[in-house]
Amino acid sequence: MSIRKCAENNTAFRRLNDVYRNREKELLIFRENGGKVVGEIGCDVPDELVIAAGMLPVRIYADRESSLEEADKYLELSFDPVIKAQFEKLVNGSYNDLIDFLAVSNSTDVIIRTYLYLREIKRIEPDKLLPPVEFIDWLFTRKPMYKMQNEKTVKRFWETLEEWSGRKITQEDFIAAAEICNKDRAALRRISELRRAHKPRITGSEALVIIGSAFFMHRSEHAELVSQLADDAKSWPEAEGVRLFLTGSAQESAELYTLIEKSGAVVVGEDHDWGDRFSSRDCNLSYPPLQSIVDCYMLRDFSSKKALVSERVKTLDEAVDASGARGVIFYINAYEEAASWDYPSEKKSLESRGILTKAFVKMSYPVSANVGLEDKIREFTKALGGV
Amino acid sequence: MNERKNTANEPPRARKALKATAVVSSYQKEWFTGLRARVEAGEDFAYLNADVPMEILRAMDIPFVVNQWWAAICSAKRMAPKYYGLLKEAGYRDDLCSYCATALAESLDPDDKLSGPWGGLPNPTIAITRLTCDCQSKIFELFAANHGAELYVMENTVPRSTPSKWWELAPDRWEDLYDKDRLDSAVEDLRELIAFLETKTGKKFDMKKFIEVMELVNEQEYWYKKTRDLIAETRPAPVTVVDTINAVMPAQWQRGTRWAADHAGSLYEEIKALADEGRFAVPNEKHRLMWLGRGIWHDLAFYQRFEEKYGAVFVWSMYLAMGADAYIRNNVQSDPLRALASRYIGMEDFLHMPPWNSEWFLSEARRNHIDGVVYMVPENCMQAVEGSYFIKKIMEDAGIPVLIFKADPVDAREWNRETMTGLVEDFIETRIIMGGNK
Repeated sequence: MSIRKCAENNTAFRRLNDVYRNREKELLIFRENGGKVVGEIGCDVPDELVIAAGMLPVRIYADRESSLEEADKYLELSFDPVIKAQFEKLVNGSYNDLIDFLAVSNSTDVIIRTYLYLREIKRIEPDKLLPPVEFIDWLFTRKPMYKMQNEKTVKRFWETLEEWSGRKITQEDFIAAAEICNKDRAALRRISELRRAHKPRITGSEALVIIGSAFFMHRSEHAELVSQLADDAKSWPEAEGVRLFLTGSAQESAELYTLIEKSGAVVVGEDHDWGDRFSSRDCNLSYPPLQSIVDCYMLRDFSSKKALVSERVKTLDEAVDASGARGVIFYINAYEEAASWDYPSEKKSLESRGILTKAFVKMSYPVSANVGLEDKIREFTKALGGV
Repeated sequence: MNERKNTANEPPRARKALKATAVVSSYQKEWFTGLRARVEAGEDFAYLNADVPMEILRAMDIPFVVNQWWAAICSAKRMAPKYYGLLKEAGYRDDLCSYCATALAESLDPDDKLSGPWGGLPNPTIAITRLTCDCQSKIFELFAANHGAELYVMENTVPRSTPSKWWELAPDRWEDLYDKDRLDSAVEDLRELIAFLETKTGKKFDMKKFIEVMELVNEQEYWYKKTRDLIAETRPAPVTVVDTINAVMPAQWQRGTRWAADHAGSLYEEIKALADEGRFAVPNEKHRLMWLGRGIWHDLAFYQRFEEKYGAVFVWSMYLAMGADAYIRNNVQSDPLRALASRYIGMEDFLHMPPWNSEWFLSEARRNHIDGVVYMVPENCMQAVEGSYFIKKIMEDAGIPVLIFKADPVDAREWNRETMTGLVEDFIETRIIMGGNK
């Protein structure tokens, strides 16, 4: 199933798919026109502020084909393979002509290490051409005192962006940018609704393209396209198959979704950062700007990296229930340990309500490197009543 | 080369020569018995991760046990294979976070009171950890649930500024060491912790008592500083890491008590006497080795395997040196909570973040006339991922060879003593002896 004809024939989807597949295309045009690009590692960099500064936020992503020569030199074995591949591109110069600055959020331990290592490489090996780096050190524990600390952190990022862009970011700039991002998130939530509908109109693979393209293009254009697509897709044929939910490692490409959907399932939701979690919470514009950003990023759905087991169990239960999934696939890359501690409790809770689970842990990158994965997924889908 | 094969036979026990080591060993058992009695009498009992500011609990007279100390005890008692088996049975992976998850695994043991170390861990009523890694709060939450304890979590921040020579700034100029907002935030965290503990236990925090605790910690760490300096300047060394790790690590978790300060003083006096009398740990000392990483709690004798054959002596580990450089905070009275904040937020920076750790390791290697570094990097602990490339580079650029190998401090299942010995022997022969370092 994956990406169907109805999607391929849709103008808005074609444009999003083109951006998704050619991830440097838009940023190169942006730079050619004198714009500055901020690369992002971690899912908690406030895009609103980058956009308010007149710059283009883009996600750093892994190149599955690249060697890991530099990463293997600097990183220990226990770095997860996707972060490792992202680090490789930053250090081997692949991003030299693509981004002007780098913003790193502490979304997981391994990213904190990535920041520390990049900072140290810049210090002791200045020949490596690394961009200026800013680190955003969120406190994710939901206490009032940490909200105030987070506001200070966001203010620092705000000031850094002003320095990078060479212009003041006014409150009006922020509101305009946040409105664009909110509009985009609202459109993406309409896509989620179409996936979760009794008769899903959008497959998981299609959704991944729709969501992920946001990371590589003007957000305002993305919002328009997704909004148009959400209207168009209402009349798309039903995406048939066993309803599955995916949790675990972020999926930067649709490879895993394609495998799952090939087995006779349809991925009706996920909670990773290249999926539905991206649009789960808006900036509340009735708050002052700093508070609005903190509220949005600190209080989003709990990530497996920065939450207690009980918080994850509740979050996953709610997301799975909302999706109407009959089964949940846990897909966890090698050395992404945190989610493994959640899994037994999550499994217990889901299975107590009749939702079957299947865990794939210590997975290699890319997805195709895992021998026999397709058969195991097919077995699971079959157990759920799939073809 | 395969570094990770099972061996069935138990490793020999390490030779421990110091009276202070025997004293701490016997004291900790006695102390643990007393702690158990207090818990059985109904007192609140806290289980803490090592980076939690335990001085607060000490001042409030709340009994506590430190996670990593307890993991080391379990490992030394060779409980790890059983415990990780229990984790697996319960549906968890048995190859993750071994250092931090040992007590969680133990909490799954229905026979713990019979077969656990020293009668097993009493049931804590409080479990406190910091968010210094993604997994720790999860492990502590699961542990707390198994014991019916209340979980309390403290945040962690990452340094933006990296002043050089932290070890020179830490005792007196800690304001210069950290970003101001980090310290402010940590002080607020301490206030919240105190409020939580007061509510939970009904005990009141007394600033005067807290200052006494902080002064006792300074006294204890001052002795460690003198001991570290003495070992550094005495050749051959009067003691090895087997002596110092065993004497210092358990006593460090008793810090803030009169006993711990006195014990540190007696440790210094004992080692000083050895040095004065010319009684050296390894009289034929030829090569001085530095151990980076956590102790191999399941095979401490490993450190001694290179003494007779090569005269290669492990003289340095972080346990004594961190005591010497990371804990002392002078003029505590000026702002006691801020002084403590400046201690506990730095531990992660000092040990696990380049360039804080790499520059300190090099400084210590030079001070201790180190000829080679053996560096253990665990595969399953992100917190111990600390920039091994940068550490190796700074050392080797300074002419000090480094051997890095993978092993686990508490899980002996994949430890092959002979293979590891071969690795270190090869390192000594090719990098230190033939490499011209000696």
